[in-house]
Amino acid sequence: MAEAIAAGGERRRRIGAPPPLAALIARRIAISLLLLLAVSVLVFAGTEMLPGDVAQMILGQGATPQALAGLRAALHLNEPAWLRYLHWLWGLLHGNAGHSLVNGMSVATLVGRRLINSLRLALFTTVVTVPLALLVGITAAIWRGTTYDRVVNMLTIATVSVPEFLFATLAVLIFAVRLRWLPALSLVMRGASFLELLRAYALPVATLSLAIFAQMARMTRAALVNILSSSYVEMAALKGVRPIRLVLRHALPNALGPVANAVALSLSFLLGGVVIVETVFSYPGLAKLMVDAVSTRDMPLVQACAMIFCTAYLLLVLVADVIALLANPRLRHR
Amino acid sequence: MTDAAGVAAKQQTGLTMSDDILPTLPGGAALSGDLPVTSRRSLLGMAMAGGLVSAGSLVLPAEAAPAPKRGGKLVVAGYASSTKDTLDPAHASNSTDYSRLFMFYNGLTVFDRHLNALPDLAQSVETTDAKNWVIKLRKGITFHDGSPFTSADVVFSLARHKDPATSSVVRPIATQMQEIKAAGPHEVHITLTGPNSELPSLLAIYQMVIVKDGTKDFSKGIGTGPFMVKEFSPGVRSIAVRNPHYFHHGKPYLDEVTFFGITNNAARVNALLSGDIDIASGITPLATRQIKAAKGFEVLNTAAGNYTDLIMHLDAPTIGNPDFVLAMKYLQDRERIRDSVFLGYATVGNDQPVAPSNPYYDASLPQRALDLEKAKFHLKKAGMLSSKVRLVSSVAATGSPDMAVILQDTARKIGFDIQIDRVPANGYWSNYWLKAPFAYGNINPRPTANILLTLFFQSTAPWNESHFKNPTFDKLLVAARAETDLAKRKQMYAEMQKLIRDDAGIGIPVFISDLDAYSTRVKGFYPIPTGDLMGFNFAQNVWVDG
Amino acid sequence: MSDEPIRGRRRAPLSPVALAAGAVVVACFALAVFGPALALHGEGAIVSRHIFAPMSAAFPLGTDYLGRDMLSRVLYGARFTIGVALPAALLASGAGTMLGMLAAVRGRTLDAALSRTMDTLISLPTLIFSLVVVAALGSSITVLVLTAAVIYTPGSYRIARSIAVDLSATDFVKAARARGEGGLAIMLGEILPNMVMPVLTDFGLRFVFIVLLLSSLSFLGLGIQPPYSDWGGMVRENIEGLSAGAPAVIVPAVAIAILTISVNLLIDNLPGRGSPRRGE
Repeated sequence: MAEAIAAGGERRRRIGAPPPLAALIARRIAISLLLLLAVSVLVFAGTEMLPGDVAQMILGQGATPQALAGLRAALHLNEPAWLRYLHWLWGLLHGNAGHSLVNGMSVATLVGRRLINSLRLALFTTVVTVPLALLVGITAAIWRGTTYDRVVNMLTIATVSVPEFLFATLAVLIFAVRLRWLPALSLVMRGASFLELLRAYALPVATLSLAIFAQMARMTRAALVNILSSSYVEMAALKGVRPIRLVLRHALPNALGPVANAVALSLSFLLGGVVIVETVFSYPGLAKLMVDAVSTRDMPLVQACAMIFCTAYLLLVLVADVIALLANPRLRHR
Repeated sequence: MTDAAGVAAKQQTGLTMSDDILPTLPGGAALSGDLPVTSRRSLLGMAMAGGLVSAGSLVLPAEAAPAPKRGGKLVVAGYASSTKDTLDPAHASNSTDYSRLFMFYNGLTVFDRHLNALPDLAQSVETTDAKNWVIKLRKGITFHDGSPFTSADVVFSLARHKDPATSSVVRPIATQMQEIKAAGPHEVHITLTGPNSELPSLLAIYQMVIVKDGTKDFSKGIGTGPFMVKEFSPGVRSIAVRNPHYFHHGKPYLDEVTFFGITNNAARVNALLSGDIDIASGITPLATRQIKAAKGFEVLNTAAGNYTDLIMHLDAPTIGNPDFVLAMKYLQDRERIRDSVFLGYATVGNDQPVAPSNPYYDASLPQRALDLEKAKFHLKKAGMLSSKVRLVSSVAATGSPDMAVILQDTARKIGFDIQIDRVPANGYWSNYWLKAPFAYGNINPRPTANILLTLFFQSTAPWNESHFKNPTFDKLLVAARAETDLAKRKQMYAEMQKLIRDDAGIGIPVFISDLDAYSTRVKGFYPIPTGDLMGFNFAQNVWVDG
Repeated sequence: MSDEPIRGRRRAPLSPVALAAGAVVVACFALAVFGPALALHGEGAIVSRHIFAPMSAAFPLGTDYLGRDMLSRVLYGARFTIGVALPAALLASGAGTMLGMLAAVRGRTLDAALSRTMDTLISLPTLIFSLVVVAALGSSITVLVLTAAVIYTPGSYRIARSIAVDLSATDFVKAARARGEGGLAIMLGEILPNMVMPVLTDFGLRFVFIVLLLSSLSFLGLGIQPPYSDWGGMVRENIEGLSAGAPAVIVPAVAIAILTISVNLLIDNLPGRGSPRRGE
């Protein structure tokens, strides 16, 4: 054991001959496809279960029986649900996500630009938040029990305990309305300069960062402290390993699994879970599109969004699991 | 997900009508002194208006002293936005759609600020029997793609509403037009199923705007209107650019109008205050405080006929008990609702749907007031004082959760327990409205009292909210359509208002004002008593200065 | 790696921070229980014509957007905030942790089955899930608690599993297996004690998330009905008072912050937790 500690990160290469990582990943991707299929069935069933159908939602208060019957026929809603599902699935397998039932536009068109917007917002937020959160989590673990640790912990919790819509509204009131430094709407026009881009994204990114920062920072600290309190690390400490080295060389590799999972969970929020930010800043992203689609029971559009969110989530957790495997090769024997 | 409810909050549809100003002729004051173009007498006035319009004198608003300035861009935010956004008149269902319709299309007629239906694409609309109508069209008008405007476009545009496959939201109105046929390239004959002197008003409804014959793809917005589509992405935004060939000379004033929906009220208001937009439509009464505290912004208060009503199904057990219904009407603390929920931006209602701004409003009908004793008396009589009732409310019906809380609080004073069921706005109109026996509804203003009463109170109406069935009322309603004597017609409408006030299962505590907030650089922006954004026809009427 | 299990934690006395945080948590719980008795007005009673009133003698925390006494509302709100968020967070964290350990201990088949089930669950859009729940089960506090718990279980599961999987590959767990200990004994005796810290931290976070989620779910018609409201719901319904600095929006937000920060500080400073073992 002492040997292993001394060898640090090197030890993992000497253990056994686990199944090749590529095979594991390939299997997970295959399972993920099945999972996407399952999710699409559930989302379809869920949307079907919701009271009201797309014809009623389109007609709203104007839904007279004749108008409903006419629209339902036009939208093929009279066909049995399973047939409509298979029809959608068949189209998707041929690379056709279908057309919106509400406005007849192609789902790919409707989703396309918004997906890019959503990914851009997610990317900016990730770039800002993840390194900072890991840094805070790791330093808090290194200096655990100190005033720094306590203050950082308290601030971290404070950030996540502010309701998002409150922070967003307050930020707009201060920076857009009162000071007029930043725009209240984050409508980025094509051909915007870097500075305009920066101004437009400042508030949404700040709001989202606050929402996801705490989970990453706190779970990083918790996972590290948990490992640090285990006896083998204590032994290393007894051998006189410096605290920073202790954390970075000994604890961090072993805490990577939970940390990667916490980061994956946080980031998966950035596509589908940002309705409030998209609403408050009028940012045309996917989360709001999905909410609209659910309100109008626009099945192909709901499905497209759900598939995108699900794929993003599965990719993130796959990466997290691979990181966990790399960090702890023994797991591959399972 | 959290704002899902807000998204759907204002999506109710129907035949919500606006009225609209055809920005006023120099001699317009005399014309608009005439009552709505519904009687044979005023048809002459219509023809005259047509003549004036074609003389191209439609440039100066009569009321506004400073001359409109040409040029500039306007950014406007409405409160509705979704992928449902459409430029298809038959499916237009909220203020965002309506505003866009009036940017890109014209109707045969158009409402002015006094609810007169003036000719727009029509030159004249004439009849002798209120059943057979002759519509002469304006000549020399072209669509945005250069093709000429003719009677074929009119027949196509109106007839498609009748086709069930179109699933038009104005089908019930369109089916009154038994026959629509072209008589030459610039004349259309319409035969109604029965006499209706209000046809000019029906043609002014925004869904009745004229599209090009044979149009299938409406996303291009090819119309005759003041603006042309530069960009239209549903749920995102539209950009409209000036139509250089617009037939009202000198209009529009603006070069470009960007319109998008910001569903969140606070976001809409903040966008205005931070200078990102010029007009924020449909703001909440609370937001007016923020607007008024800031410099350079104003609130446009449109006292429309919009109302949120307490619905009691008259044929439901217990809820339908006439004494219970009456008790609920007496429990309405109308002033408190006006002041607390709408901060004064409302007028007290009298449990009947014709608003004070309507020419047929009967001011002599005694006002029902909050009366705890009478309420208690009727509840006792119904044997319901100690029973519990569930009241369904939703933000979908404007202000109803708060109105419910006030009713609950008032009822507690006489020991009556009302439980509030606040349900999702999402799907409210299809799942709760008309289904729950004790619930709130919200009715947008309609261009004529007859349409309003026909849609919501006729015994056979699918939207008869309280299942009100009254043969006397039904007879009056049909007779009023054919009646050409204004005084007699007014009398008929007064009787109908009394019948609803006394016998329908509807409590209308207040009429709610529509509120738009705008930057003072927007000029020529004034209220129309039936809808926000100048009856949704602001785009060709406002200009910017500074 | 960590081949020695942690057993027999040292009992350290409560630190001053833990004491303070604990006292606040207890006070919040007391509010949840006795709050309504202390309130001067009913939660739904409209007592003033003055909306968004500032703090005054008559209304110590001002009034809300309808002219209701905010002090009374906050006192009532404690019950709906803590009473829903606490059981929901316990359920989510408890179920997630147990299932996570089970997946780690019971081997690949169950692990894969549970993991993919949780992935499916978390991939279901919250909005659709919540709306289906309202449509199918109607609205009640129980449904609200269960829905919030289900929404946050997969996250807890993922964190717990990733730690438990690491732990189950350690020699001391292998030793326990070799001794013939059963799965449950290994889970509770060997694995759980070695992951208390992250699990509790995760619980603290779930608690915050759920407190914030309540107002969203209630807004969809799931759960707390007017005139009642949880603290998050109060922030939301009074948000328009923010520009005028109305206490009606600030007070419940501060209440949420106090509650969630103290719960998490308490977790960080539990005996044997935050106390460092440097071993110098």
